[in-house]
Amino acid sequence: MNVTDITFWIFAAIAVVSGWRVFCTDSMVRASFLLMLSFIAVGLIMVLLNAPYLGIATVFMMAVEMMVMALFMVMYMMNPAGLNPMMMVHQHRFSIAAGVFLFAALAGLIIVTRFASNPVAPGTEVVAGLGKELLGDSMLIFETAGVTLLATMVASVILSSRSGRFGAADTGSVPPPLEPGGEPAGRQPEQGGGHAHHHH
Amino acid sequence: MTPIVLTMTWVAFLLGMAWYIAVLDGLWAAAREGRQPRAPLANPLYRCATILRQQSNLTEAPDLLNWRLAPALYAGLAGTGVALVPFSSTNVLADLEVGIVWWGAVEALTVVVVFLHGWSANSQFGLIGAYRYVAIGLPVMLISMFVLIAAALPAESLAVPKIIESQRELWNVIRQPLGLPLFLLLGLSLSFRGPFNYADSADIAGGTAAEVSGAPRLVWEFARLAMLTAVATVAASVFLGGYLGPWLPGPVWLVLKTAAVLLVLVGLSHQLARISPSRMMTLIWTVLLPLSFLHLVWAGVLAL
Repeated sequence: MNVTDITFWIFAAIAVVSGWRVFCTDSMVRASFLLMLSFIAVGLIMVLLNAPYLGIATVFMMAVEMMVMALFMVMYMMNPAGLNPMMMVHQHRFSIAAGVFLFAALAGLIIVTRFASNPVAPGTEVVAGLGKELLGDSMLIFETAGVTLLATMVASVILSSRSGRFGAADTGSVPPPLEPGGEPAGRQPEQGGGHAHHHH
Repeated sequence: MTPIVLTMTWVAFLLGMAWYIAVLDGLWAAAREGRQPRAPLANPLYRCATILRQQSNLTEAPDLLNWRLAPALYAGLAGTGVALVPFSSTNVLADLEVGIVWWGAVEALTVVVVFLHGWSANSQFGLIGAYRYVAIGLPVMLISMFVLIAAALPAESLAVPKIIESQRELWNVIRQPLGLPLFLLLGLSLSFRGPFNYADSADIAGGTAAEVSGAPRLVWEFARLAMLTAVATVAASVFLGGYLGPWLPGPVWLVLKTAAVLLVLVGLSHQLARISPSRMMTLIWTVLLPLSFLHLVWAGVLAL
């Protein structure tokens, strides 16, 4: 085993262990950053595989993505700060069975597949080649996927941020009534806002 | 330089520049308040000693792993940023083919680390600082990425040494005039100083560092200075030709240019007022980001 092999096994262990811990932690923020750690280890393995741009871009993208994901989860889940302990997994039996099955299927595929051995000559300009591929023949796929993802993100934020806990966001928040069909609970602001005076 | 000498130069550069920023900060603050500075050169060292003599504070139920790791990770990220920059045409610690992309990863991970520092203390002020920092830090990072891609265009490479070599005829600061000012904003944001101090400011009692004292505090304050050094070094290399220059040897030019950029950064952080986070968000998304798009188009047309 040379240094590259040892480095690979260290990164592989980090990727698998932190990926597993994602499902054991009880906090959304911790889960997000454990997932980030797992992806960073995978990105560094890609650097070892002589794909420096893809590997480091993975580190960069995952750092931004997991930061945004942690923030959005806390915002939409009504869990103050993500510090309150909460169960992070659902449908335990089904998901464990599905996970074991998928892992066995994919690992089996690795064993039965014969991978092409097509080594790239040392000194090949892999970064320039990747750029020409992404912005040349694959440009249509690349750009379609990018714009579709962006549109999905914008649409999901618009859809999910309109319906609030106390009604639609654009009508102002009104607390629910104490008895069905009654007046909204709490103190009512008077016309014109400002200080509320009660007249009996 | 042998690898050992190179590594020692890198450490000396980080420590020396951090001390230089701390001295400048002291002098600037004294001048603004109209008082005589006391022992300006030794003052940063006294401050180190004072912080080290304090005990490390503990809050109730913190996420201790993240809380203790965050200052070290922040300093480490700054160190890898400086390592990307060549001291001369043959002496570079991390000769990465995709250096600019790694710098982008440093910026993104800095946002994560600062957030974790505030979040893991389990204290309100730290948490407010953490959230405010993410809201401002992420879009500022986008601006800097466009600016750096623009600087990579004339070099036709993502490697910092190649970007420096592409400036033999003309520095990028003249070729792409908007680049340096926009990149300096990133410097203020990455080390949260002056107008971009949304993480650790006085209005939230020190923000993410509100509960931190003792050795972790020292590492955190050093890391802020080291990150500012990293930004200034990258700025000096990407926009001001790095080690290129007549008469003097390359490393001297790099140090002089970095020191000059740091002087501007310290001046900006003391002279500019901070505006409220929501106004800053509007300014970034509606003015500065479109400006960086224009800058990229300008650089692209010029490079054709």
